[in-house]
Amino acid sequence: MKVLIVDYEMGNLGSVQKAFDHLDVLSIISNDHEEIKNADLVVLPGVGSFQKGIENLHRLGLFDLLTQEVVHHKKPFLGICLGMQLLATYGEEPVHTEGLNWIPGKVIKMTPPNLRVPHMGWNNIEVKQDDYYGSISTKDFYFIHSYHFVADDPGVISSTVNYGGEMVSSIQQGNIFATQFHPEKSQKAGLQVLKNFIDHHA
Amino acid sequence: MLKTRIIPVLTFNGFALVKTKKFANPRMVGNPVQAARVFNSRGVDELVFLDIYASDQNRKLDPMIVKDVIKECMMPVAVGGGISDLEDIRTLLKAGADKVVIKTKALTDPSFITAASEVFGSQCITIAVDAVLEDGAYMIYNRNGYKVPLLEFMKRSEEFGAGEFIINSVDQDGMMNGFDSTLIHLAESNTKLPVIACGGGGNLEHYKQLFLETETEAVASSSIFYFTQYTPNDIKQELERVGKPVRIV
Repeated sequence: MKVLIVDYEMGNLGSVQKAFDHLDVLSIISNDHEEIKNADLVVLPGVGSFQKGIENLHRLGLFDLLTQEVVHHKKPFLGICLGMQLLATYGEEPVHTEGLNWIPGKVIKMTPPNLRVPHMGWNNIEVKQDDYYGSISTKDFYFIHSYHFVADDPGVISSTVNYGGEMVSSIQQGNIFATQFHPEKSQKAGLQVLKNFIDHHA
Repeated sequence: MLKTRIIPVLTFNGFALVKTKKFANPRMVGNPVQAARVFNSRGVDELVFLDIYASDQNRKLDPMIVKDVIKECMMPVAVGGGISDLEDIRTLLKAGADKVVIKTKALTDPSFITAASEVFGSQCITIAVDAVLEDGAYMIYNRNGYKVPLLEFMKRSEEFGAGEFIINSVDQDGMMNGFDSTLIHLAESNTKLPVIACGGGGNLEHYKQLFLETETEAVASSSIFYFTQYTPNDIKQELERVGKPVRIV
């Protein structure tokens, strides 16, 4: 199985690859169009602002290519953190920006009453669809974000997290799975989620 | 529910791990890669790795060492020391850091915080606030004697785009006789950003007190893990007894 981690110059891709190494899953980090077309499974990680992320996808010619591969050719896709948020119709970080629009919805600044922002640290999720959450040892995962995904169709929400209210913590729709938390930073439970996703599509 | 974070701090001198008292008298306490491996096996919530002399010695933190440390870690790592331009941050993030810790540069050039947060996102910009109590007021210093009051520095850093603060009591550093709850409370109650308390933890009672007397949700420590039998999980079990949400692994 060929796992490709998309290099669109948005943050720490090495830690995602390290997690796959731990699972003995071979992965490459690349933004080469042919490599992406040849990959069996595509991972879009990323930290940083929504606007910058979309800008980079356009600049590298990945916006349309990824849409073609994931939406039309149904290639298994895993988004992490910003890589989940970019799937929305639009985001507001720092200004209104059109997203990939694979999952209709918006990404807006969180405003939890009397709580600190960013939402930073370990928080437990509530699983709504358990396809990728089998055998996890704990439901605590590592979050670090100030904006959150509001999905138009609640049916795509695969888990939620509570921080001054319910927020989306992962999304699932067909071949697409994406998490707001960082599985690659969430120790055993995080590795298990990655393993479940890989096994499911192996 | 968001869990209280217990964060070991590895302070590095460019060669080995050291532990200071009141920011002086460094005592060698080991090797950063080994320490990271131990804390990873204990499943700690997060790790902070700081080269505490990099700025003073006009050095950069060696990215190869950062890489070796982070290779051991399946949890988030914040890294700091000698950061003075965006390229430094890029190098550390590339080496695997999830957050960077900035102190000296943030003190003299707050616009750097904006520049950094615009490129990398404010969630990865942690500001180290090393406070000294002076004539009843908490002050933040740099090595050239430039100083600014605690709350002014914090307010300014937050406005310029910081994502988190580590509040460190210089007077309590390495003393292991309790946190400066007055300082921590003053700091955390004047910001909307996450705050990590640091400096003074020596036994479980100290941690209990800190969390009963302040609204901080995270604490960073090192001496207690080097010089006593207590582990991060021991602290968590103590905090759980007083009703704090913790993640026990």
